[in-house]
Amino acid sequence: MNIASQDLGTLLQLMPVQRAALALLLAAVGLPVIGVIIVGLDIMPVRFAMMHVALLGIAVGLLTGLDPMLCALVACALAGAGVAPLARTPDGLSGAMGLLMSLAIAAALLVLAVSGVNASGAFALLWGSILSVGTADLVVLGALAVVVPGLFWWRRRDIGLLLYDRELAQCSGVPVRALTLALLVLVAVAVAGAIKLTGALLVDALTLLPALAARRLGNSLRSIVLWAIGIGVLVNLTGFLLALSLDWPPGPVLVLTAGAVVLAVHLIPERRLSSWRAPASPSLPSSH
Amino acid sequence: MGGLDVRMRDVHCWHGRTAAVSEVDLEIAAGERVALTGTNGSGKTTLMRAVLGLHRHFSGTVLVGGRSAGTATEWAERRRACAWIPQKPAAGRFPLLGSELLASSGAAEEAADAADRLGVASLARHPLHTLSGGQLQRMYLARAIGSIAGGAEVLIADEPTAALDFDGQDEAADILTELPVTLIVVTHDRALAGRCDRVLEMAAGRVREVS
Repeated sequence: MNIASQDLGTLLQLMPVQRAALALLLAAVGLPVIGVIIVGLDIMPVRFAMMHVALLGIAVGLLTGLDPMLCALVACALAGAGVAPLARTPDGLSGAMGLLMSLAIAAALLVLAVSGVNASGAFALLWGSILSVGTADLVVLGALAVVVPGLFWWRRRDIGLLLYDRELAQCSGVPVRALTLALLVLVAVAVAGAIKLTGALLVDALTLLPALAARRLGNSLRSIVLWAIGIGVLVNLTGFLLALSLDWPPGPVLVLTAGAVVLAVHLIPERRLSSWRAPASPSLPSSH
Repeated sequence: MGGLDVRMRDVHCWHGRTAAVSEVDLEIAAGERVALTGTNGSGKTTLMRAVLGLHRHFSGTVLVGGRSAGTATEWAERRRACAWIPQKPAAGRFPLLGSELLASSGAAEEAADAADRLGVASLARHPLHTLSGGQLQRMYLARAIGSIAGGAEVLIADEPTAALDFDGQDEAADILTELPVTLIVVTHDRALAGRCDRVLEMAAGRVREVS
């Protein structure tokens, strides 16, 4: 135990480890809010879709000689904007993400085959690792940590109404189309960027899992977002320290830690969560 | 009496290829209170949603206060002019607090006062999905009163008393018919219909005057 803690102390003095810890902390502020939006818009497959769209972007970049990662981010932003009109019907978006995923992977493979670019080389560009983040990556994560919660706070009323019910939002003067478009582009770019920075597996631990746990704990959009950020910070720090002390790869450990939190939260009985909520009122009949 | 006039000319609405509303011509004067009755599936809700631009698959003209709507800005204006009580308040994917619903009217204070009069002020801090059908309907009524305080001059209420108990139905009917706006209320409640200036009946997508 003593040796382990000494090891941990030594490890924490290493530059890549410090950077990774800072990256995770920054990511824990911005990305869980993206996760809340993903859950709210019901676009869980967005990560898979964006992985494939990013691959298409990289393929196009390698073919044209432009910066592949920039092409990937632009492709994701365009894909996010492209599916926005499908948000009109309640199931439109989740179906669209599946369709987008299939189309993007097919197009990416076609571009890769036609251009003769090595497919695994293109994939490798997409595979980041938390232990290899550079200064530029930290700047991006820092920007996300400021912009995402900031945007959310600025538009929280509109976002709350939109995620509750699109038609109610429309009738309350919310610019529904523009807001949906902005949210989808933000989600797409943030997810694609995070895949590059942290690796595809870790993106789920940083975005979706805190949001899923928070969705059950919070009773308003505001409290859900605060819970998500809190859980994100907690999970990232404990998971990372655990991975370091056991000398295990951080990605899977973080995902398992976050997953354990989600499971634990779902095991809390509903009555404990809602004991303070409105008393049931059987006197008012509902005809619906 | 305030309110805007509502005029419909040759309005048709479709769900896919099925016609839900056909050849509706309707003149509703400013400040008039009109009950729209009719069997289930006769097109009442679709017609009301077309007025608000929530059902977009329609043809013909709908003028509110003499204005038509086509662009996004015009529809936004239409929705500001017309307060709405939906038939089935959404059981949203995400929680929304009662106070946030009231604030969405555009006049949070007036809506909160109305909620107080309707006996649901204490529920403002609770998420809507924890309220009963009747409590939710009172909340939406309070929100509509807020919208009217915020400048809406037409109220489109789609079965606003369906989930209420008998006293609640009376109370809601009083409030609805005394608002200083043009009222179009879809209802199966004879007492409420009886307190309106006109009763219209829809059958198979067409409207006829009853009284």
